[in-house]
Amino acid sequence: MIAENKKTPAARYGMTIDVDRCNGCGSCMVACAVENNVPPAAAGATDRTGLTWIRVFKIDNGAEGADRRSAFVPVLCQHCGKDAPCVSVCPQQAVDVDPATGIVGQMPERCLGCRYCMAACPYHARYFNWWDPAWPAGMEKTLNPDVAPRMRGVVEKCNFCHGRWHAAKAQAVANGKTEIDPADYIPACVEACPNGAIHFGNLNDPATETARAAHQPDSFRMLESLGTDPKIYYHSKKNWVREISAAPRPGTAKETARG
Amino acid sequence: MLPWNYGFHFGAASYIFLGAFYTVLIVVATTIINALWRARRDLSKGKVEDIRWHSDFHDLSAADRSCRHVLTGEFTSRECPHAFDCRECATHAKLIALHPLAQAAEAEEDIFGMSFPLDRMYHRGHTWARPEADGTVTVGLDDLGARLLGTPDAVDLPGLGSHVHANGTAFRIHRREADVRILSPVDGEVVETGGVDRGFFLRVKPLNGLMDMRHLLRDAEVKPWLMRELERLQLALTMEGASVPSLADGGVPVSDIAAAYPKTDWDAVCGEMFLEP
Amino acid sequence: MANHMFQQIDKEFITRGVRRCSTPRFILWLVPWVALLLFGAYSAGLCLVKGLNQTNMDNRYAFGLWIFVDLTIIALGAGAFFTGFLLYILKFKELKAVINSAVVIGLVCYSGAMAALMVDVGQPLRAWFTFWYPNVHSMLTEVTFCISCYLTVLLIEYLPIVLKNRKLRDVPGFLVFEFELHKLIYVLAGVGTFLSFFHQGSLGGLYGVLRGRPFAFREGIFVWPSTFFLFIISAAAVGPSFLICTTWLVEKITGKRLAKDRVFDLLARISGILLSVYVLAKTIDTLIWINRTSPGLGFTASQYYDWKPFGTWILFAEIVLCGLVPALILLTPRLRARRAWLIPAAALACCGIALNRYVQTVQTLALPTLSFDKFLSYTPSWQEVGTFLGVLAYGVLVYSFSFRYFQIFPEERELKIEVRPQQEEEPVLAGRF
Repeated sequence: MIAENKKTPAARYGMTIDVDRCNGCGSCMVACAVENNVPPAAAGATDRTGLTWIRVFKIDNGAEGADRRSAFVPVLCQHCGKDAPCVSVCPQQAVDVDPATGIVGQMPERCLGCRYCMAACPYHARYFNWWDPAWPAGMEKTLNPDVAPRMRGVVEKCNFCHGRWHAAKAQAVANGKTEIDPADYIPACVEACPNGAIHFGNLNDPATETARAAHQPDSFRMLESLGTDPKIYYHSKKNWVREISAAPRPGTAKETARG
Repeated sequence: MLPWNYGFHFGAASYIFLGAFYTVLIVVATTIINALWRARRDLSKGKVEDIRWHSDFHDLSAADRSCRHVLTGEFTSRECPHAFDCRECATHAKLIALHPLAQAAEAEEDIFGMSFPLDRMYHRGHTWARPEADGTVTVGLDDLGARLLGTPDAVDLPGLGSHVHANGTAFRIHRREADVRILSPVDGEVVETGGVDRGFFLRVKPLNGLMDMRHLLRDAEVKPWLMRELERLQLALTMEGASVPSLADGGVPVSDIAAAYPKTDWDAVCGEMFLEP
Repeated sequence: MANHMFQQIDKEFITRGVRRCSTPRFILWLVPWVALLLFGAYSAGLCLVKGLNQTNMDNRYAFGLWIFVDLTIIALGAGAFFTGFLLYILKFKELKAVINSAVVIGLVCYSGAMAALMVDVGQPLRAWFTFWYPNVHSMLTEVTFCISCYLTVLLIEYLPIVLKNRKLRDVPGFLVFEFELHKLIYVLAGVGTFLSFFHQGSLGGLYGVLRGRPFAFREGIFVWPSTFFLFIISAAAVGPSFLICTTWLVEKITGKRLAKDRVFDLLARISGILLSVYVLAKTIDTLIWINRTSPGLGFTASQYYDWKPFGTWILFAEIVLCGLVPALILLTPRLRARRAWLIPAAALACCGIALNRYVQTVQTLALPTLSFDKFLSYTPSWQEVGTFLGVLAYGVLVYSFSFRYFQIFPEERELKIEVRPQQEEEPVLAGRF
């Protein structure tokens, strides 16, 4: 998984998600599942029966009646840049951070399924294959040949569409370049969002839209206080939305929609 | 773990961690291999009986392991460090040189109504060894031992020509639920086997012409030892649930003690008295 | 006839001079436990064959009953290493009376925990990966290495107990091996102590390192969070207490006395001293955590206790009710001398440690970290409970067999005399001397 070419300057891939633009349609979740061969969940699937790499939470400001406001927050692996809680806990190095891309990767083929990383993750962004992956008859034809499906009993999570990264890399090599063309590497969720709420790019490259958006005053990161340097930046002009980045306050939390 | 494994990197943590792990593995494996190797050596050297006795001796209560010189009052308390083999004991050699044992009065042959002739020497496991005129030594159960076991249901005697070792198993006796091994008082080769009715169980020939019997009790030592043994018997009987304290004629052990205590765990009493805990 | 022969064989294996119930009664005692074990095996089999979807754990509550049970029984099994350490290294000779029992309990606890862990992981057949691709920075690696090594040590320590069996030691090879192994047992006790210190600690570190879970995260010394050290002390403190409880329980069930009062007293004293050290350390740790660690991560500690049912009562129960109170009782000679105080105090100490492990595992996962997330709850499925009960039954069975056939309590024979009512009749052979 480590990038072969060490000469390229290290990238720091990240995302910005404009919460104000998200309408909770769930396209990102579907696109993600299709791209990464995540088996489709039945209607009404729960955390036990279904699996998704990106989860859209519905939040509200806690007010009643006309003052009530709600918003949708997609939560995926935040690709912590520093002391990622899941990396150091894995007993068999099945989790690693690619120094060339900053992407936190999961190797399902080495995973024991101890789920210690899931207990370690404050974002609940890691998912365990409680069941054997299954696709309805005929649907297996739509499987993405670039991504290996995972077996029962291992953990998986968002890896910024690793298959796409490989494809982009191959494209760059074919074009005789050492660096990926940003236009070639766009995760499925970014592509699928009808409102353009998600932007993806190299945070180390100031020219990208993502790097710019990340440093806007209304940007925030989830649980930044934990000191893990997450690389998913959220953005909202609404104060009450920005408050969600902080630690939970009992009593303010309301029911949660799971996409 | 290995340099060609993906994700492998050597750091101080790896060195410390894997170093400690392998040290532990090596220590544990060495311990086991060492024990196995020693066990094999013991087996091939024929030390099984010796070890059986040492293991039994280790399990005896501290009071049961007391030195013979405690019996004679030279020590107030001393645990035998040589598993009752005074032949190895420097202290014993010194003490015996200082105070040779007094001849016991002839009348003492009858101790508490039991017969302990002084023409022979006694082992603490209730056997005796009597040097015979032809240079052999006869081995038998002493009177208390005989009364404890009464008429045996079965006796497993060693074959002719086999060797017995002091503190090793001489023969086995089964009586009711009791099944005890009887310790041999001497080293030697079995040249004749006897039985209850013949007055002795084994006749042994010294292995190299000389029979070392320094470790056996004799003369004035016998009575104090027997007193202590009767105390132990009383304790063992109480412990093993003897509910009828009558020993026929006012305290003299009857000829078949077991029959007097039908409800007692006789195996345990015999184990206690024949030093097989 | 066959039945009689069977009973005879059974009897031949029982240690000389101890009383054991009749063979049919023993079998009767075994029946419910064997049934429970079979049920447990069925539950665990379902989880292994059909997968962990048989449990009620989910993607957000990824650890459940089993982890709590593992942590608890390993803490309770600490009596094995700590008693061995006190007896063979520090030469507390009195503890010879309970060392075999401690080894059996340790073996049961560790092998039980290991079995539960094997069911708990998604790919048990990949267990060797941890040894092949170890991440030396993970607490779980340390736990895996130490527990598997220590389980080996415990099995070797259990071997002499088995080979010492009356019938088995008739086999010369067994006798000689047992004798030679016993001579080297202090090496194993030393290794066991080393391993135990580390894995009790790394079990504590397991949650203490979780930066992403401010409720569990603790600062520490070098690479170890404070929970590393707290777990060592608490396990050492509660090991002797658990020995007191089990010994007492076996005494009650069998109607025998198994260890002298001074052994109970010594165990209670050791437990009491360590427990008070633990309570003090835990209090300091909690204060540091409330005032520095947790706020440093952006979480005020009070918020954790606003989620019902986990109010501050749990903190009180853990530190005062099940920590300070038993510690004081165990430290008071007059109180610990009486069973009516000693046993509840020891049991309370065990509960306190179980509660601590519960808080570390279950409460940590139940508390939300994201501000818009909710309090999580989970109820174990019957398969999870079944597996746990299976482990329990396995423990009872191993202990029952060990108690029946091996010399678990060497003082039992001596103490036999004391339970019998003093007889009025003249003592045997009295008139003679």
